[in-house]
Amino acid sequence: MLRYLALRLARAALTIVLVVTFAFVVLRLSGDPALIIMSPEAPEEAIQAFRHAWGLDQPIWIQYIDYFTAIAQGDLGVSFRDGRPALQLVAERIPATLILTIPALLLKICVGIPAGIHAALHRNSTTDRLVMAAAVAGFTVPSFVLGLLLVLLFAVQLGWLPSGGQESWRSMILPVITLGFGGAGVLARFTRSAMLEVLGQPYIRTALAKGVPWHRVVRGHALPNAAIPTVTVVGFMVGSLIAGAVVVESVFSWPGVGRLLVVSVSNRDLAVVQCILLLVASTMVVSNLIVDLLYGVLDPRLRAGASGGH
Amino acid sequence: MLLSRRRAAALAGAATLLPRVSLAQADNRPVITIAVQKISNSNTFDLIREQSNVGERTSSLMCERLIDLDWFHGISQMPGLATEWRRIDDQTVELSLRRGVKFHNGDEMTAEDVAWCFSAQKMFGDTTPDYMGRPGNPTSGPVIGAGSKALPPEIGPVARQRFPSLVKVEATDRYTVRFVNATPDVTLEGRIAATGSEITSRRGYEDAENWLAFARKPIGTGPYRVREFRPDNLLILDAHDEYWGGRPPIKTLRFVEVPEVPSRINGLLSGEYQFACDIPPDQIGAVESRPAFEVVGGTILNIRMTDFNKTNPTLADPRVRQAFGHAIDRQAIIDSLWAGRTRIPHGLQFDYFGDMQLTDWNVPEFDPSKSRALLKAAGYKGDAIPYRLLNNYYTNQVATSQILIEMWREVGLNIELTMKENWTQIRDLSSPRGVRDWSGGASFNDPVGGMIATFGPGGSSTAAKEWTNAEFNQLATQMQTSTDKALRKRIWRRLLEIAEREDPAYTVLHQNASFTAKRRDIAWRACPSFVMDFRASNWGAGIRG
Repeated sequence: MLRYLALRLARAALTIVLVVTFAFVVLRLSGDPALIIMSPEAPEEAIQAFRHAWGLDQPIWIQYIDYFTAIAQGDLGVSFRDGRPALQLVAERIPATLILTIPALLLKICVGIPAGIHAALHRNSTTDRLVMAAAVAGFTVPSFVLGLLLVLLFAVQLGWLPSGGQESWRSMILPVITLGFGGAGVLARFTRSAMLEVLGQPYIRTALAKGVPWHRVVRGHALPNAAIPTVTVVGFMVGSLIAGAVVVESVFSWPGVGRLLVVSVSNRDLAVVQCILLLVASTMVVSNLIVDLLYGVLDPRLRAGASGGH
Repeated sequence: MLLSRRRAAALAGAATLLPRVSLAQADNRPVITIAVQKISNSNTFDLIREQSNVGERTSSLMCERLIDLDWFHGISQMPGLATEWRRIDDQTVELSLRRGVKFHNGDEMTAEDVAWCFSAQKMFGDTTPDYMGRPGNPTSGPVIGAGSKALPPEIGPVARQRFPSLVKVEATDRYTVRFVNATPDVTLEGRIAATGSEITSRRGYEDAENWLAFARKPIGTGPYRVREFRPDNLLILDAHDEYWGGRPPIKTLRFVEVPEVPSRINGLLSGEYQFACDIPPDQIGAVESRPAFEVVGGTILNIRMTDFNKTNPTLADPRVRQAFGHAIDRQAIIDSLWAGRTRIPHGLQFDYFGDMQLTDWNVPEFDPSKSRALLKAAGYKGDAIPYRLLNNYYTNQVATSQILIEMWREVGLNIELTMKENWTQIRDLSSPRGVRDWSGGASFNDPVGGMIATFGPGGSSTAAKEWTNAEFNQLATQMQTSTDKALRKRIWRRLLEIAEREDPAYTVLHQNASFTAKRRDIAWRACPSFVMDFRASNWGAGIRG
């Protein structure tokens, strides 16, 4: 088990290094922060002074070594625009994003999984079709379209809720619904498919033939076995908690990590972009690691396989 | 009369509340929320570093200049923090400061503050005036995050571009300053009235934690002062009640950054915002379909152009570039994309040039047959001409480019369009460049502040290795130091002939425009600029002239 864990951790670290390296190279080759931050009309001397002050006039490989040396010392760089440590900037924005993405995740789980189970247990019924229609709508309608429709209805027409910003708890409602609706649809689809597959298995028929009540068959046999694909999807959703609201934050003018990422990419604020990518990659890798470990909890066969048993 | 302890405490509490209640009742000025696409590109309000239209919008509320611009009367110069100014000689301007002007920190503005604003410490860093030659190495200094009071190194060169030959600004007494130039310069007053020449408090700077802190909360003399700035999110300004121009009519101005157009409009319609800025022309009808709202604004001091790269072998022949200009039906672009709410200017000129504007000068006439003839004469064989395009960096940019490409194709030009993400990619030298989009302004009321700054010696077009012309450079240099008005007008005509006709550096498309949606019941006028004037003279019943 320890060897398995060590291998997974090594792969996780490699993934993070690759993501950060890719971002480092692409960002530097695709735009000069000096021109973007100083404006294209700035005199050449100003552009040169900016590059010199920030070390952008150094060869890219020297910048790369400097960057990783600094990371090893816990320094994720300083924002060109803000003048503050990138990590501090990003950390300030994380709570704003999490107060949207965590309720949205709960919404996805609380609505999507029960809806998927219900649809599977009532296959081909009117309820099943309604749930699936809503689920398809949920993950096919782009979040910016849904967000704007909700704003038009609840803010402009009815005047019940704010159209954007982060003024009070009421400002959270529309972005959370927008984020949650699509994810709930995805979870409902996955849960339904997984449940239908499990319900068609011989051991379910055997349990029913042995006289086990239907609700106990569902709770004791179907749900645990159908949980693995659902947990995988939930794991991805947990992994995208930090930067999973880029579009919604822009539509609702929500000052979270997603907005910061968009602004920083367009301004080539390299340290900030790299810091966000590092955090996102780390979160995704850790959540996948947890999901892998959960597989073992949910399915004893995988536990036995990992420890070399038969 | 006997009082119980509880009653006495209640009365005491009420007594402490009374003045506050009466104060609150006295200040019944509104709180106004304005949705903007961007508050500041650089996350500071230092206009030397910011260099953007959006920065000018908010900075002008906090900081003012010695010579102001009358936005509602031809953008003419008028007294600002200086009540009058006079020429001592061709190189020196003397200004008398307005007395009793208070900074946001309560200090009185004096000549010492003004001289300090134009000092090496605040503005020029280790740069030197042009006549002393340019330093070979980049200027040095700490980056903005270093927590230092010293200027970031990029500030000095930009400031020096604004005042290339300024030797010093000296205080001759408490309320008089002199700007001394190394060379004769008739544009000195214009430069003093331009962005970047804002006056801030020296003590305010000394009290600030560092350069960045001051750049985010400048202590100026403007009608509003910074209460809070959350970068990329929110700016709150409170009325500066000691403002020399009268008590500001708005208690608090809130600038909210709303990047998406539909979100800005929805917030206006739902009543959360009273103003929504940066409205594209195609949304004007949608907003004005509701009787309670209107869209104000119009042309601004900026002109959209197509720039040519002379180093492209196909474009080396000026006749090919001339063909571009005659192929464009500019009015069709204005009517279809701008709802007719802008205009074709007299070349790269603005009304506020005053006497220097050549009103008989016009852009190349729309004449496709002339374009075809020019291409034939140049022996153009249909070689592809690259067109690097940004995704709506300018309003309507992509739609305009699609129309342009069809118009150019109509006369036989073969345009190869490539979408680019930023200016580095637009200027990239690793593959052939052809035409690109640009917009030109004039930082002050003279051609020197516009076309010459871009296309003249040391301009961004020359630096990008796109276009240069020996005669143009020689005349541009002469124009910068000449004080002979008639000669300057002759030179200006010749510069226009070179850059727009003989050896085109660009072709003008139309004047740019900016639109702001607002509640119709709010009496307020939009400036022909990104500047938003919220002084008493431009609000409600106080609107004058």
